[in-house]
Amino acid sequence: MNQSLNRRRLLATAALGGLVGATGLGSLAPEAAFAAEAVTVEPGAPDPNFAEGRISKVSGNMLLVTGSDTVLHSIRITNGTSIWKLHPTTFDQVAVGDGLYARGVRLPDGTLAADSVWVNIVNLHAHIASVGRNMLHLDHKGQRIVAHVVPGRSAAVYNGTPAVSDMSLLRVGRHVQVLGAWHPDTNEISIATVYAAA
Amino acid sequence: MIEVLAALQPLVLGAVLIWSARVKLFSRRAAAAANRSALVRLLGQDRALPAYRVLGGVELTLGALLLAPPALRLEAIAATGLAVGFLAYLTYARRVAPTSSCGCLSAQPIPVSGRSLARAGLLVAAGVLAGLAAGGWWTALAARPLAGAAVLLAELALVVALSPELDAAWLLPLRRLRAWLTRPLRGGSGVPLLAAVQQIQLSDAYRRVAPLLRSDVREHWDDGDGRFVGHAAHYQGRPVTAVFAVPLADPEPDAVRVAVVDDATGETLLSLAGTPRPAGPRLTVVPA
Repeated sequence: MNQSLNRRRLLATAALGGLVGATGLGSLAPEAAFAAEAVTVEPGAPDPNFAEGRISKVSGNMLLVTGSDTVLHSIRITNGTSIWKLHPTTFDQVAVGDGLYARGVRLPDGTLAADSVWVNIVNLHAHIASVGRNMLHLDHKGQRIVAHVVPGRSAAVYNGTPAVSDMSLLRVGRHVQVLGAWHPDTNEISIATVYAAA
Repeated sequence: MIEVLAALQPLVLGAVLIWSARVKLFSRRAAAAANRSALVRLLGQDRALPAYRVLGGVELTLGALLLAPPALRLEAIAATGLAVGFLAYLTYARRVAPTSSCGCLSAQPIPVSGRSLARAGLLVAAGVLAGLAAGGWWTALAARPLAGAAVLLAELALVVALSPELDAAWLLPLRRLRAWLTRPLRGGSGVPLLAAVQQIQLSDAYRRVAPLLRSDVREHWDDGDGRFVGHAAHYQGRPVTAVFAVPLADPEPDAVRVAVVDDATGETLLSLAGTPRPAGPRLTVVPA
């Protein structure tokens, strides 16, 4: 805990401190940064640096994931991996049975060294069938989905303006796009962001 | 009472059938509705629309016959047969093509639900009752106008309640009214993380270091009047952390600063602030 506080203080000081120029440290032009990573994916071929599926086993810092096409992926979580589960979180929040999307670098042994992992992420276009206390009932292609508003976490974007926490402009019957975290094996999600017209 | 109920059934059946035929025969979206229905699966793509139209014609004819005198038992039997057919078709659609649309009372894409099945069941019951009626609905209504009107209203309300197609006309306004009265989504304060992330992504600092970033948001915290957002990044072949500082009070992207810090040594490799806008007249472009 103390270590994390110290680290945060260091990072905050660096961000707020005096400017350190880029010129002495090499070019920051996008061409220079991208030059090292040649795009090797054939058009139409699956992206080797992406994996999705349900977690069937967690061992150490490895995740064994069964893809929706039944392909098995092993995914390595590193010190630099970002883990999202409704919000940026830590590896200990990841459980067997969770779904995930992962992006990273495919290592020669076939494992994916993950840069970013999004656990249980869903992206739905739906209509609001009814609203309850901190809850939206969504009609998604005729199926009912219960979307929970998580106070302090859920955000709403109205008409593309900056995100706010206020959900009260959502209207029954209107179309919404919802990014959220699925509760595995249920028809319920927690709302990360809801995009709506107001 | 049961005689009144039975005698009024042709009226209910006729009204529902004519309403249903209206969509199939006169709606401009009938072709789309036919293509979304399970008729495509049952009869094939080419025959779905003609079958849909023919069904509409049958419904219109039978509905008109039921409403108009004389009251014949044959009409009630035909209506019962048609309702049984609906029930069988909907059961088939639900089992074989669950994503198909009902195509029953409106051209909207509405999947076959338990309510649609219950409505078809109600029509079967109405048909059977109509077969038991002794006289026409007009004589029954004239004999007991109040009871007859009440029965009629209650039954039509039941049909409407069992029709998902008509929800937009009565159920959604009711739910809207309840939400307006109870305000279940009130509350919600504070600036969500997404607001800071959006501000960062519009900033000059982000544009300059974006090619270095490897991960999504790894950590974030508030300290004083600022919010800090950290990403894992790669710079000059070593793992680094890119940390963005966002002032909570200032929503302008120009206010975002970034530092790139070596993970191993803690050395600040790069630190950038947003460039202030140039003075003088300018065209303000707001990102949509």
